Amino acid sequence: MLRASSQAKGESFDLGLILGKPGDGNIPHGGLLVGFADAVLGTDDRCLADTQASIRAAMGDAALVDAAAIVATFNAIDRVADATGIPIEPAKAQSTADIRAALGINTFAESRGEVAGSRGYAPAA
Amino acid sequence: MLISYSNAPVPVRDDIVAAHERAWNRIARAGAWFDGKTRLAIAAETRHAANCALCARRKESVSPYGIAGQHDTLGALPERLVEQIHRIVTDPGRLTRGWFDSLMASGTPDTEYVETVGVVATVVAIDTFCRAIGVPLHPLPAPQNGAPHQRRPRTARQRGEAWVAMIHPKDLEGELDSAEEQSLASYWGGVPANIRRALSLVPEEAYEWFRLVEVQYLPGKAMRDFANEYRAITHAQIELVAGRVSVLNQCFY
Repeated sequence: MLRASSQAKGESFDLGLILGKPGDGNIPHGGLLVGFADAVLGTDDRCLADTQASIRAAMGDAALVDAAAIVATFNAIDRVADATGIPIEPAKAQSTADIRAALGINTFAESRGEVAGSRGYAPAA
Repeated sequence: MLISYSNAPVPVRDDIVAAHERAWNRIARAGAWFDGKTRLAIAAETRHAANCALCARRKESVSPYGIAGQHDTLGALPERLVEQIHRIVTDPGRLTRGWFDSLMASGTPDTEYVETVGVVATVVAIDTFCRAIGVPLHPLPAPQNGAPHQRRPRTARQRGEAWVAMIHPKDLEGELDSAEEQSLASYWGGVPANIRRALSLVPEEAYEWFRLVEVQYLPGKAMRDFANEYRAITHAQIELVAGRVSVLNQCFY
């Protein structure tokens, strides 16, 4: 969808950003939003508070809410996909083959468990 | 009201509040295969999984499948159900078909497995939202009386597509023998992506889960309407965040 969005608008995003490449990837506040996703799924509450404050200051309160809703949705959708073993649709696999290769996703998938610092889901007390 | 964000540091959209209220109510009511008390026990175990020492050891291990032991559990659910919940919560990226088959062999019906996934996903979605905006988790609601209807949709079949049986949209044409299938057919209205079909063995979990998704993410048509923006962040920003979360979760669907 990121690629579709990019193509539709004639823009060029650096998709390496989703693998943690520094910078904004040609997406406004891209680095901040990646940092927010990392902080929500991470364990450092101070870092999360700082990131929340940065988003509110730079993008506004509504942006924090909508970004939070996206993190929340995909933190759960990923679990639905993984727990049910659904395959990626052939058309989608074909259209994203080059991106998956460029990002090293296929290799990454084979060596699952190598993302440091991610707790995924751990509710606060 | 079960859900309130009145003390949140930022104003929360009314449609999110309403969707969370609806989802929280659903967890407390009887579903297709579990009563409200059991669904709430699944919800509580979902939250408890983060404190499980066995899951922590498995998460740190090269392979989780060589680490035996007992889960730290609240004790309200059978061990096979606890294993399902804890693994989905703590290490979803390394679930395998063999693990799924072992749960089926241990006596978990596929219908109960799917309903459990739906409850876990709902709790994860709402709890993660709370953490992300900086508010405490909502207390779980009290269980409501009622018995599960225990209707398995005849249209759900195992076609070798996924681990679980799913309904194919073509099977929802013509006469349908359950209200849940009729609702699903009406909701889908076409050929959905596999992620929308994933929970269709329990149809109400499939469409209720996506009602929540569409509020938190985007309705189907809005997803691909790149000429317009529907949220306070752009399509590109939305998909960037979604992609990053999926990388962190090692989900490559």
